[in-house]
Amino acid sequence: MNVELFGGEINVWWDALARLGLAVGAMTVVAMGLIYLERKVIARFQQRLGPTRTGPIGMLQALADAVKLVGKEDLRPRNADPWVFELAPYFVFVPIFLVFVAVPFAFDWQIRVLELGLLYVVAISSVNIVGWVMAGWGSDNRYAMLGALRAAAQGISYELPLVISLVAVAMIVSQLDSAGEVLRGSLNLHTIVEEQGHIPYIVWQPLAFAIFYIAMLAELNRTPFDIPVGESEVVGGPFVEYSGIRWSMFFLAEYTALFLLSLVGAAVFLGGWAWPLGEELRGENELLGVLYQLGLTLAKTGFLIFTVFWVRSTMPRMRIDQLMAFSWKVLLPLAFAQILVNGLILVYDWPDVLLLLTSGAGLVALVAIVDRAVTRPAQRPPRPAAAALGSEAAS
Amino acid sequence: MRGIAKAMLTTIGVFARRPVTREYPERHRPLPERDRAFPLLLWDGDLDEPFCTGCHACERACPVECMTVLMKDNPAHTSLGGTSSRRKIIDKFWIDYARCMRCNICVEVCNFDAIAMNNTWSGHEMSVYDRADLVLDLPQLLAQHKAGAIDEWVAP
Repeated sequence: MNVELFGGEINVWWDALARLGLAVGAMTVVAMGLIYLERKVIARFQQRLGPTRTGPIGMLQALADAVKLVGKEDLRPRNADPWVFELAPYFVFVPIFLVFVAVPFAFDWQIRVLELGLLYVVAISSVNIVGWVMAGWGSDNRYAMLGALRAAAQGISYELPLVISLVAVAMIVSQLDSAGEVLRGSLNLHTIVEEQGHIPYIVWQPLAFAIFYIAMLAELNRTPFDIPVGESEVVGGPFVEYSGIRWSMFFLAEYTALFLLSLVGAAVFLGGWAWPLGEELRGENELLGVLYQLGLTLAKTGFLIFTVFWVRSTMPRMRIDQLMAFSWKVLLPLAFAQILVNGLILVYDWPDVLLLLTSGAGLVALVAIVDRAVTRPAQRPPRPAAAALGSEAAS
Repeated sequence: MRGIAKAMLTTIGVFARRPVTREYPERHRPLPERDRAFPLLLWDGDLDEPFCTGCHACERACPVECMTVLMKDNPAHTSLGGTSSRRKIIDKFWIDYARCMRCNICVEVCNFDAIAMNNTWSGHEMSVYDRADLVLDLPQLLAQHKAGAIDEWVAP
């Protein structure tokens, strides 16, 4: 059985292998590049230079780190559960790797166009929580266990707002069917990007984007949601006992996840390769068009990644109860309200501008809620001694 | 929320600033003229001989005894047909930089302004593989000022 790849006919197994190789190569390059970039960017946020020694302006630092990590001994604690401990990195690594299959880079630069691409991405990417819990459990270390439980709680809590904010966009995607009728709703990432040729969905759904961004930070265990790996509390969380190549697999997965979620955010909310003028330029000149679309995708992704670094260098870590309360009491109700309102607008065929108005109002509400929570004085019960003193003074 | 926005603006402001890091081995920051590395002997370019007469003042004043001084008759003295007014001149001079504590006392007691503290980076970057290499003899001590590499600072 033959399929088409880069214009040529090729056996389906070779095709699969080629796509797999592409994904692995891209993943490695992306992760190493991001590690280097993060070190450089965070350094600039602290008025430092970052790595400068390895290669021109330190560009080979990630490579040097990789060589060092591969060369290190792969330790396993004596009390660790051997199977769980050794398999955990794969359970973190493989799902992230699989997400690569569905994300769109340019008009026809996508490893596979999946009809349910968005569902596939969110479903697969959340499997890696299992790996985190396995790492924590298998290590037989109380800090690792604490970190893993925190990761599980946080991952599950923030998965919901993340998915529902994406649903809010997926349900308003409009496409023309063969009869020229407008159809609403699509989970195909290719279609979602394609329909943003004129206006990206962040314009129609600012609240969904805000929720997606916050939930993305939490999913990636990034500051201010880096509770599972907080160095000052659980000394690195589930990774405490890992070293060498297994540890580097966790980090490879983490940085790839950062890239992929940013890419999904860029594709779903910021217009991916389509906005502005992606398809028009592609029509003019094939090669330039591809480069322009790739550039657009990477620029938007890079912008999102930069903001993640920016937030990391600004925010302190949240407390675990604040974290859970924020997800369940604020983000999730707002996300649900969003899809409810979107549904009403779609069913009654109200004008699209209402999407913007309601979502904008939701964003204002989110800001107001956060503002109130941040500026409210700490709520503590009065200390008994102080209360007694007060009543004595009153009498 | 305003606090968060202000914090974000602050960090991006810092991001736009120049890094304060100095890439040390590639770039040296300028040293102050009174920077005090290790003592060096000065070269009298007019008479083509050292200023030092070997009077032992620095050797006696040195609190860590890092100096060894030997004196000789100056062959270039006027009485011997030369042009120099120095009757005696330094013969051999060793300073053990491993012992020296850079106290500047030798410079202060010198009657001839013949010794000065090295105020260049060459006085700080003196790592060697053998401790014996830190004992410098007369030619080594004179070489830098002779070559014009030292713009010495002597107390007025």
